[in-house]
Amino acid sequence: MLDIIVVTLLVLGLIVFFGGSLGIVRFPDFYSRLHPAGKMDTLASLFMLGGLALYELNDISSTSVLTALKIMLILVFVFIASPTATHAIVDAGFRAGQKPWTQGQPRR
Amino acid sequence: MKKLASVTILLLGIMLIAITAEFPRWGDPQSPASTYLSPHFIEKTIEETSVPNIVTAVLGDYRGYDTMFETTVVFCAGAACFFILGAFRREDDDQIRYFRHKDTGVVLKVKPNGTRPNSRSDFERIDPTWTPYDFIVSRVASLMIPFIQLFGLYVVAHGHHSPGGGFQGGVILAAGFLLLALSHNLRTLSARVSNKTLGLMSASGVLIYAGWGALALLFGGNFLDYSVLGVLLGLDPIAARSMGILIVEIGVALTVMSTMVIIYNNVASVGAYDEGL
Repeated sequence: MLDIIVVTLLVLGLIVFFGGSLGIVRFPDFYSRLHPAGKMDTLASLFMLGGLALYELNDISSTSVLTALKIMLILVFVFIASPTATHAIVDAGFRAGQKPWTQGQPRR
Repeated sequence: MKKLASVTILLLGIMLIAITAEFPRWGDPQSPASTYLSPHFIEKTIEETSVPNIVTAVLGDYRGYDTMFETTVVFCAGAACFFILGAFRREDDDQIRYFRHKDTGVVLKVKPNGTRPNSRSDFERIDPTWTPYDFIVSRVASLMIPFIQLFGLYVVAHGHHSPGGGFQGGVILAAGFLLLALSHNLRTLSARVSNKTLGLMSASGVLIYAGWGALALLFGGNFLDYSVLGVLLGLDPIAARSMGILIVEIGVALTVMSTMVIIYNNVASVGAYDEGL
């Protein structure tokens, strides 16, 4: 039962990671490319690391619980750091004078 | 001339490829490296130095001279950066300065000979290329920096047991400082740790390494032979080697950390230290 949940979470993470990469390649400009880079990667790490933490809890012992806790800590770190980094990059791009893409313009 | 050069390069290339064929095969058990040196390190590290991480043992003990001079090279890089960019500049007063009133956000422009607000008053000095105070980035950075520094200390202290050591830990510690400088500004970093302190720390890291090695001479051992220092630490010679590596790694971490920050300070402010990005 636990294995099914773990595999589902990992596959979901892979799908979201794939969507994120596709978005980075396909979107037309700087700001819209950062959108999948910031959002999808954060969500996909939630799925992936959550699945790995659950897998560690397969047999409950002090070491496995500790490992799962460490993975959850990484998750918290990613959840704080990744959106902030995206925010900082967008901010820097705006200050550097990057114009957002509008409909009808060529891809950049 | 050009033809001659290309013929020479071609011949040299053929020679290099021909010599490559003479190299021992990848993972060949009969190659000189695998016959006596690697087995010695792999089998004897624990009983000779009581360090579980072989890489750290090789780096800090078997190959101590090399690591000492690597640390010196790092120190020299910081010193060179300082001398090239910053040696002949002073904080010159013939510049326009900007001061912001902390409560209202009003910015004053002070001409070169104008009277400046008292540094302890409600005004703070800001950069000419001043960018608005970004609340999210600076708050999150302040939240994360303590954890980054703590992690750096762990990496330094756990170099014996897990991947890590002075170089890696020093870089992580420096990353915390650089994050502070990037998320706030360079002056916030300078207010916490001045460039002079950084230079002293950088030099003292090398001094810790070389001094610890030279201390072994006083106790009747060879240079960098930590086992004789067990008397000083109250440990047996084998455990003293492990402890000696830790002390040496702390020296390396100090040098690497402060040199990284020195290089950043110099490059980011073109040797002026106070203006920032």
